[in-house]
Amino acid sequence: MLLEIKNLKVSVDGNTILHGLNLNVGKGETHVLMGPNGAGKSTLVNTIMGHPEYKVDEGSIIFDGKDITHLPANERAKAGLFLSFQNPEEVPGVTLENFMRTSRMAITGKPVKLFAYKKELKEKMAELNMNDGYAERYLNVGFSGGEKKKSEILQMLMLNPKLAILDETDSGLDVDAVKIVSQGINQYKNKDNSLLIITHSAKILESLKVDYVHVLVDGKIVKTGGSELVGEIGRNGFQKIAAAAV
Amino acid sequence: MDVALRNVNMLPVRTWNRLGINDTGLQEKFSDPAPYRGKALAGSLPEGVSLTKKPFPVSDAETGMGKDTADFVESHSNCGVSLCAAAGTKAEKPVVLNYEISEKNPTVIDCNEITAEEGSEITVVMGYRSEGDVPGFHGGLTKLYAGKGAVIHLMQIQLLGDGCTHFDNVGAFAEEGGKIDIVQAELGGKHAFSGVKTRLGGTKSQLNMNAIYLGDHQRSIDINYIAQHTGRKTSSNINVSGALLDEGQKTFRGTIDFVRGAKQAVGHENEYNLLFSPKVRNRTAPLILCQEEDVDGQHAASTGRIDAARLFYLMSRGLSEAEAKKLIIEAQFHPVIDRIPDMELKKEVSDFVKGRLSQLESMG
Amino acid sequence: MEKKKTMVKDIDRTIYDIKDKVHPSYEVKEGLTPEIVEEISKTKNDPKWMHDFRLKSLEIYNNLKVPDWGPSLDGLNMNDIVTYIRPDTPMRGNWAQVPDDIKNTFERLGIPEAERKSLAGVGAQYDSEVVYHNVREEVRRQGVVYTDMESAIRDPQYGSMVRDHFMKLVPPTDHKFAALHGAVWSGGSFVYVPPHVKVEIPLQSYFRLNAPGAGQFEHTLIILGEGADLHFIEGCSAPKYNVANLHAGCVELYVAKNAHLRYSTIENWSKNMYNLNTKRALVEEGGNMEWVSGSFGSHVSYLYPMSILNGENSRMEFTGITFAGKGQNLDTGAKVVHAAPHTYSDISTKSISKDGGTCTYRSSVVILPQAYGCKSSVNCESLMLDDRSRSDTIPVMDIQNDDVDVGHEAKIGRISDDAIFYLMSRGMSEEDARAMIVTGFAEPIAKELPVEYAVEMNNLIKLEMEGAIG
Repeated sequence: MLLEIKNLKVSVDGNTILHGLNLNVGKGETHVLMGPNGAGKSTLVNTIMGHPEYKVDEGSIIFDGKDITHLPANERAKAGLFLSFQNPEEVPGVTLENFMRTSRMAITGKPVKLFAYKKELKEKMAELNMNDGYAERYLNVGFSGGEKKKSEILQMLMLNPKLAILDETDSGLDVDAVKIVSQGINQYKNKDNSLLIITHSAKILESLKVDYVHVLVDGKIVKTGGSELVGEIGRNGFQKIAAAAV
Repeated sequence: MDVALRNVNMLPVRTWNRLGINDTGLQEKFSDPAPYRGKALAGSLPEGVSLTKKPFPVSDAETGMGKDTADFVESHSNCGVSLCAAAGTKAEKPVVLNYEISEKNPTVIDCNEITAEEGSEITVVMGYRSEGDVPGFHGGLTKLYAGKGAVIHLMQIQLLGDGCTHFDNVGAFAEEGGKIDIVQAELGGKHAFSGVKTRLGGTKSQLNMNAIYLGDHQRSIDINYIAQHTGRKTSSNINVSGALLDEGQKTFRGTIDFVRGAKQAVGHENEYNLLFSPKVRNRTAPLILCQEEDVDGQHAASTGRIDAARLFYLMSRGLSEAEAKKLIIEAQFHPVIDRIPDMELKKEVSDFVKGRLSQLESMG
Repeated sequence: MEKKKTMVKDIDRTIYDIKDKVHPSYEVKEGLTPEIVEEISKTKNDPKWMHDFRLKSLEIYNNLKVPDWGPSLDGLNMNDIVTYIRPDTPMRGNWAQVPDDIKNTFERLGIPEAERKSLAGVGAQYDSEVVYHNVREEVRRQGVVYTDMESAIRDPQYGSMVRDHFMKLVPPTDHKFAALHGAVWSGGSFVYVPPHVKVEIPLQSYFRLNAPGAGQFEHTLIILGEGADLHFIEGCSAPKYNVANLHAGCVELYVAKNAHLRYSTIENWSKNMYNLNTKRALVEEGGNMEWVSGSFGSHVSYLYPMSILNGENSRMEFTGITFAGKGQNLDTGAKVVHAAPHTYSDISTKSISKDGGTCTYRSSVVILPQAYGCKSSVNCESLMLDDRSRSDTIPVMDIQNDDVDVGHEAKIGRISDDAIFYLMSRGMSEEDARAMIVTGFAEPIAKELPVEYAVEMNNLIKLEMEGAIG
């Protein structure tokens, strides 16, 4: 098992949001997490990544055989976790290129060969239909919603993590951009690495082979199924599924 | 009597003396204050509000214009009220106080205290008017205390004629969750001074400060607003906007002061000045003082003529340049005038501005 | 853009702290008296007008008060300041002739190397005297003069030009330390660029204060002819001693019609320095003055380069960064007077306070009645790295006509936890994430600096940020 979450209870500012959540993601698998607004989806992924505001009151997170429940975010990144943020931060004065190079150095612990790195970056940007100029722009500053999401996917491709968590990476994107992002995801995915996708729309899942779908309501996973669950949610809505599960 | 007040409207931190903005002075000759003849309080007091004088809860309350000015009012006042909103009561209608400078009341010096006990809410409207351009003097001191979760709305509307010198000195304090909401309209007078210092002492206490000014003829306006954050999660919002015409002069000092310990405090200040005549003078000193890391402080100021594109747009709809400019000034004042709870007063202020603007020669 | 800064080995602060043995050839007694000023004047072989000017300045100095508005100057005892120390070496035009210990100091600071690489000329001042001046031959042939002030005053060709401009922009009456400067000034550079001459590569001067408890009072006078173009770089450093040092330099810049001057400074005086420097530029019609200023050192600084936009359509841009750490109170900013129509000013600053340090941004923008059609924009951002430090913003605008467009924005805050988390989620340690955000904050200023200074600045930030957590 790549990711094992056991009985996870999480609170923010004293309010409990996750009430004993269990989730397992195996090597090479693609999982989808769906749920209504406020169910705790973003809480879950921020907790997995180690955001200090989210307090783990109970339970554990095991990643790649190692208990990461209380590790700082950078150690989790080094272990092979990646989160594509719903609202990536703007960091003025730091170029995207410099940022990703520093990031790769931090994760691999090895110096980056500049020429080969730049070449690789250029190719990946081209695949995502990103203008070369973005490499020299300040990280996410003045990027449109779509550009920010592409920059997240670009970082995922450059860092090649064991598990990539995509937090509503497809939201707010136009049809063409969703297609490009899907291509990026497909390019990343292979038999060894895994995906956990949070989404509200089925569109991004069309070109992916989904192994499991989980429904999160009120801080608990109320139902787990195969890709057919996506259609069921579309037809019946979350509340009905949650009610049926109880 | 003669008055010479010094250290008026002091900047909390000094800067170059030659800019002449560190402080100002107030020198005036006026008739000795006799007991105010007339009734300032309009109508009856709303339920829950009483005219009771209690010791002011904050012993070291500081005011915007400073100690000298406050002491002057305390020792020479000829009118004023002490209002208290009882705990838990929410006054539906405002307390309205009207002071009129006239030949029989050439000097008005009012000393006021407004205390809102825990969980109460009170609105006080103070109007200052004069009989035409009769010479006169108004000086006021108002102390505000908002208890836990209490709300005080204070509106000070100054509609004096060009013969009057005027000042309003305010000091406010807010306890946990308390809210101070002040509107000041400095629209008349020969020399107008105003200073407001608010200490946000309680956690999550708030200040909302909205001011408009109109500097026409040879009016000088001197303002000093200080929002001092000492409590955690406190917030202040200061908005000042106005217009300078003819030979009008305005000085605005606005300070957001984050004291160490005011974690997660937010202080924003905005100033918007429209200028209409080559002889105006606009001075601004927007300070942010900060000893706390976990805060968000911002200040923005913009000064200049009316945006040419906006003017053109209005003129393309048939308005003359002068009409268009008047419309824009009125529009700028509207959000503040709209906050006045009393319909009659609202109309009066609006008409006062219109009247002032209709006399203008310098509108092009 | 220089982006290889992370690859550059950290410079060691100790290179600034190497103290050479003090063996001056001549040293006046401590404290300031007319006799001392007479002595300085005599040893400098001043012309009569300068001798009189010094004594007049001393009189003004004695009659002026210490400023009552800035950081405390209590630690500065004027009676302890040795006003004049001259290293025992005459000025050289050939690096090989500079005495070894002085030469070594500058070499450690990379000065001659910088000259070999990318500069049109270099001047180096050690304590009160310029020890080295050199200008590239091709620049000299363009008619550009770059020499020490003492030589310039006595120069048959330029002496009268110096006299016409010396302390005319910053008169000794300006403030107490300007008066002090007028009385005891020593060293500094004179630059003259003839009309329409464009100096393609920068000129640089480097100031080094070595003696303990000393003052440095260099005077920099730059005169640009019509349509001339120059980039001048100034660097300052001093080793750390336990007694207060004083720097009260004066910079006067004359930017003629359509001329362009860029003046870059990186100030890294040791943290016992009182840096009370006065810089001023007079900009004529169509002229363009650009200031780039980095303040990292000193115990106390008062530094507000001023531009007088005297000619129609003249412009000034000021870009500055200030970083105050433990024991530092750095009061910096800019001043501008719009004295002519259609002039433009832009002030953009950043400041960082940490470890109990105080940064104050102070500025004034004055638009005079005759200066219609002016535009001015001020933008200052402050970053607080902990709650022991302090950061104040004190701008003033005085607008005396209506045909203006004046904007001002100020912001203060901290590094957001979300930004740190974002960077950490990409593998960086918290320390590196904070350093990266701070470096990014300073980036708009760094990119205006000459490359070697930008690298130095980023290294300084890194050095300062180390151990900033916990």
